[in-house]
Amino acid sequence: MDRSIEIAVNGTRHAFAVDDRRSLLDVLRSDLGITSPKYGCGLAQCGACTVLVDGAPARSCVLRAAKADGAAVTTLEGLADAATGALHPVQQGFVEAAGAQCGYCLNGMIMSALALLSANPDPREDDVRSALRHNLCRCGTHAEIVASVMRAAELMREAAGNPARDDAAPAERAAVVSKAREGAPA
Amino acid sequence: MSGDYGRILVFREAGAAREVFLSFDTFGIAIGFNGHVDLGTGIETALSQIVAEELDLPLDRVRMVLGDTTRTPNQGPTIASETIQITAVPLRHAAAQIRRELALRGARRLNAPAARVTLSDGAVRWKETVATYESLIAGEEVALLLDEATPVKDPKDYTVVGRSAARVDLPAKVTGSHPYIHDVFVDGMVHGHVVRPPYHGRDSGAFIGHSLVGFDDAAVRAMPGFLAVVRRGDFLGVVAERADQAEAIAEALPVEWLLPPELPDMASLAETIRSQPATPRSCDATGDFAAGIAQCDVRLERTYVWPYHLHGSIGPSCAIADWNAGEPIVWSGSQNPHMLRADLANLMQLDEARIDIRRYQAAGCYGRNCADDVCGDALLLSHATGRPVRVQLTRAQEHLWEPKGAAQVMDVEGGLKDGAFHAYSLDSWYPSNRGPNLALLLTGRVSPEPRPSDMGDRTIIPPYRIAHKAITVHDMAPIVRAAWMRGVSALPNTFAHESFVDELAYEAGEDPVAFRLAHIDDPRTAHLIRESAEKGGWEARTAPRRRREGRMAYGQGFAFATYVHGAFPGTAAAASAWVCDVAVDMETGEVQLTRVFVGQDQGLVINPDGVRHQIHGNVNQTAGRVLKEELSFDEITVTAQSWATYPLQTFPETPAIETMLVERSGDPALGVGESAAVPAAAAIANAIFDATGIRMREAPFTPEKMRAALGIAGAAQPAAIAGPVAALSWRDRLAGRGLGSKANGATGSGKGTGARKMGLAALLGGSLTAGALALPIHRAIPPTPAPPAASFSAELLAKGREVFAAGNCADCHTVQGGSPNAGGLPVETPFGTIYTSNITPDPETGLGNWSFEAFERAMRKGVSRDGTNLYPAFPYTSFAKMSGDDMFALYAYLQTLEPVRRETPPAEMAVPFNLRPLNAAWNALYLGSGPLAPVAQKSPEWNRGRYLVEATGHCSACHSPRNALGAEMGGDAALSGAPVKGWYAPAIAGTAAASFGWDEERFYQYLRTGVAGDLAAAAGPMAEVVANLRELPDSDIQAMAVYLASLAPDGTGGSETAAGQTATPLPDATHRLFESACAVCHEPAVANLATAAKVPLSRSAAVRSSDDEALRTVIREGIEAPLSLATRDMPGFAAELTGAQIDALAAYVRTRYGAAAR
Ligand code: FES
Ligand code: FES
Repeated sequence: MDRSIEIAVNGTRHAFAVDDRRSLLDVLRSDLGITSPKYGCGLAQCGACTVLVDGAPARSCVLRAAKADGAAVTTLEGLADAATGALHPVQQGFVEAAGAQCGYCLNGMIMSALALLSANPDPREDDVRSALRHNLCRCGTHAEIVASVMRAAELMREAAGNPARDDAAPAERAAVVSKAREGAPA
Repeated sequence: MSGDYGRILVFREAGAAREVFLSFDTFGIAIGFNGHVDLGTGIETALSQIVAEELDLPLDRVRMVLGDTTRTPNQGPTIASETIQITAVPLRHAAAQIRRELALRGARRLNAPAARVTLSDGAVRWKETVATYESLIAGEEVALLLDEATPVKDPKDYTVVGRSAARVDLPAKVTGSHPYIHDVFVDGMVHGHVVRPPYHGRDSGAFIGHSLVGFDDAAVRAMPGFLAVVRRGDFLGVVAERADQAEAIAEALPVEWLLPPELPDMASLAETIRSQPATPRSCDATGDFAAGIAQCDVRLERTYVWPYHLHGSIGPSCAIADWNAGEPIVWSGSQNPHMLRADLANLMQLDEARIDIRRYQAAGCYGRNCADDVCGDALLLSHATGRPVRVQLTRAQEHLWEPKGAAQVMDVEGGLKDGAFHAYSLDSWYPSNRGPNLALLLTGRVSPEPRPSDMGDRTIIPPYRIAHKAITVHDMAPIVRAAWMRGVSALPNTFAHESFVDELAYEAGEDPVAFRLAHIDDPRTAHLIRESAEKGGWEARTAPRRRREGRMAYGQGFAFATYVHGAFPGTAAAASAWVCDVAVDMETGEVQLTRVFVGQDQGLVINPDGVRHQIHGNVNQTAGRVLKEELSFDEITVTAQSWATYPLQTFPETPAIETMLVERSGDPALGVGESAAVPAAAAIANAIFDATGIRMREAPFTPEKMRAALGIAGAAQPAAIAGPVAALSWRDRLAGRGLGSKANGATGSGKGTGARKMGLAALLGGSLTAGALALPIHRAIPPTPAPPAASFSAELLAKGREVFAAGNCADCHTVQGGSPNAGGLPVETPFGTIYTSNITPDPETGLGNWSFEAFERAMRKGVSRDGTNLYPAFPYTSFAKMSGDDMFALYAYLQTLEPVRRETPPAEMAVPFNLRPLNAAWNALYLGSGPLAPVAQKSPEWNRGRYLVEATGHCSACHSPRNALGAEMGGDAALSGAPVKGWYAPAIAGTAAASFGWDEERFYQYLRTGVAGDLAAAAGPMAEVVANLRELPDSDIQAMAVYLASLAPDGTGGSETAAGQTATPLPDATHRLFESACAVCHEPAVANLATAAKVPLSRSAAVRSSDDEALRTVIREGIEAPLSLATRDMPGFAAELTGAQIDALAAYVRTRYGAAAR
């Protein structure tokens, strides 16, 4: 059954009628041309479709668009600074630490990392691994992805003017930074 | 310098056409063309580095075009790590050729001696003068024939190659602007959805291409978006305007297939593989094995078994094809564009040159997935409809049909003579080929006979000096569809070589690394082994050390291999050595790979970071294959349809990885795409041996296998889905899809929320029935036309509408997809099947000819207008308590509904429940006595709440347990919770409700929004009830909350006691299923996940039920939450899990979460 809904995607409002059984993922990709969320499994198992709905991470393959009526949706396309084009620190972290091979899982990794870092701006590597435990990467890019999130955390703290972590083990931090730097442009 | 466009390029003749390898133009950009594709490995970056180096051009002025068939040279499939090693060679020469030409031209322009000009940064320089490359070709088209003798730079002079370069594709990928094949949109495109045959993943046998009996497209033509159903042989597809429409049509299309023949017994993998037809081929017969083995003083015979794996691309394959009047364009994620073009030419009987394959990146593929198949699908559908057609395979289709990474069996015999490795025989069976394009097979274009291949011989020759060898590969056809996967047969062959040599070393009383080195002649290999052992922290030993700390055992293992690819004897790619550490939990059998050190010799390193990333990828992916992954089969097909039953390695399971790249800049670059995967299985098995003294020879090394090998208690527990075969499951699945009963054989993408009404029917089944009994016992009330709708006041109708909502009438009196309130919903009861009645004002089949007297009698006494008894599933015992005003208001409101003519089917009751005396006796026993009288001592609010709960809302119909005759129990048992067939209605009164945490506030939240904090969320039939309650004013909801809270005595505890305590079952296949399919929403990894369950499983009503039925129901059907509520959806798993898997999962969830909840 069609139903009229209104959602804001990356700040742009869209009002339209939609079959109330269609997933938000399908509607974003097919109707709105927002292709950063990917179809991977359709069953909330892989994370490739993750978007933010009113700031909270959501697996858009199991969220019907009609259920998101009235919500503000954020996708990868909406993370960079609209005025300057500057990458969001999380995106920057993934570029610097090369957090992708094929990159099909990347959208889910970045979106989940955003969710993690907004709850825990100063994670340890184990926190990152735990937060990403339901995001699948078949290319085996796990090490680079963890390094990317650690680098992103650092960039976000710098941007917030709070680079130091009180309880950080200095050795671990140094390792993370150098790992991230290994992947930085030569 | 000049505005005239100019270009210089290098080409070779290919028939009538020219294949261009490299061009440079006056825009200052070099474009390289390579027939291989980037599989997500960063090959684009490495190739760009090669061009930039030879051409002395900044890296950011180089672009690569990979794989497009009309633009790139045909260089064969992107396999076997060949891109850098083989196909990049002409590219490098082409760059050197352009450089030489530009140097000559530059020297002339600058009046300099040709030998003395220097080139850098895109310009030719002589003393202070400079000529940019662009200026040297302005206005010209310079075409050079490829000369592979052109001298290239000395690696000593490299400034770009050999240094880490950032991936060129990443910035676009992190912003979502990189176009994957899945993101391509073509003007005018429509959408196809394929319906695959029931012989999932099989590609040989006479039934292939000949199993489709028929289909009924008339049944789906009227569905929205329908464009066509297309059939060719066993190829069947639907085309529609939108993708979701195509999928819905494909799922609804009635299709009849023949039952496929059974597979051989895939549970006994080794015997089955050995018993297939095969042709032995000797690869190495050095010495005389029979004589040699007879001379040995230590002899061992071993068998190693490798399971079937999925390539498991994270993105299911996708393609767009435009038939384009016989000049097809295909947008593809193929790994092998040129091979695909030949297949499509064959499929459509076209000249290859007329097909244009445009290659886009897809998800990583690691071998061969469905990327080529889906191009065939799209092209067939486009040809039939004349429109560009996009086909996106579902996760289930990709899982079931991708050509699998083949299982493999290695039988080994060998021995020691005087402490030396003296004799070795290895027989290897590898049932795989190149995975012919599915469309060719399904349409019958290619005959489905078994096609043997010869790829079982990769790295089949052991690297050791052994006097007597008998190395034999058994060339054979696939059993199920299979094709190369990372490491191909070299990985399992190395599992055998490197496990066996390890075992021999201990037999010889020597350190395994020292023993290997003693048998290696090649100094380069010896160097890699020695350096890796040293840098990797190898600890020499001559026996397993079995280091223990508490319940954990720790071990270290070594293995190495040179990956050999291409036709036998093949070409060596990079050689890799592993030193790895494991920790084995001696109570659960879990193996954690904690650290992997990889030493690798790949000759010249183009991009060190790129190589390290490849090593990391190989380690992580292969660790998962060795420890977790295994494909299961039923009697007919592959069974895994999602990650639920084929779990991948997760982040917390990944090891720390260290790398050592051997410096060899003077040697040619060797492929690195697969090498680091090859030693994985043996290295891990060897580490487990060091930790425990146990040899694992069958991958994967799951906790179940470890427990069995270690003799850990609980090892014998029957894991219902642990084995590769889930018995009889195909029968469930095929029957479920109605193979013989004209239903669709395709598997959906698992949306599975459509069975909601079934749940409702099941709910009603717990009570008795709403159908009319045929034998009159009461007087009939003559048909009397009801008063016209207009005669009722608006106020009265508004009241009636509320009563209608509070009574949840619409849900039971509407079938899914049917006219509202016209009845006909079947209710399966233990006593027979009854059907709900038509309550619209239709005069003949509904209530149009019912007087208020007749209506009220039915509502209060359960007697129909014609005098027949109603079964007490119709909750007239509750309605009897309603006030006269409400009753009349409801009557009035019903008369204003849209009249629908629909006969109610007669009940089908089993003896003795259709006997009149029994029903009459039942009424005498259980029917109460008229409207509720208010209780004077209680507040009006409480009395109102009581009325709504006890009368109109008939809560007891579900929440009170019933006695043997189907009557609600009263007293303390009232509203104390009841398993209703298929679901569970938990306690909402008494201490059970209070100790669970129910209070007035939470009752209110729940009834108003469907969610009470993290205490409870309405699901199944209750969600519909709450959705209907939205018609009621807040005051009524509040009144119900007040009344219900009064039934729960205070101070009996809070919700804290009801949640939090969980048991951890031993890890097995069901545990992995839960972790990969359920945990994401029920044990979310990030706070605030908007699609997670609102309530912890330990509080779920289904878990608190006294049996597993409610859990099974919700697992099967999922939850489609009413849009008006704050509750959430859950996907159903009926289509992808077998009955046995659902049973096991339900039992697992109750074990893990149920302990504290009841
Ligand atoms: S596509 Fe949504 S989680 Fe996999
Ligand atoms: S980078 Fe390919 S799936 Fe993660």
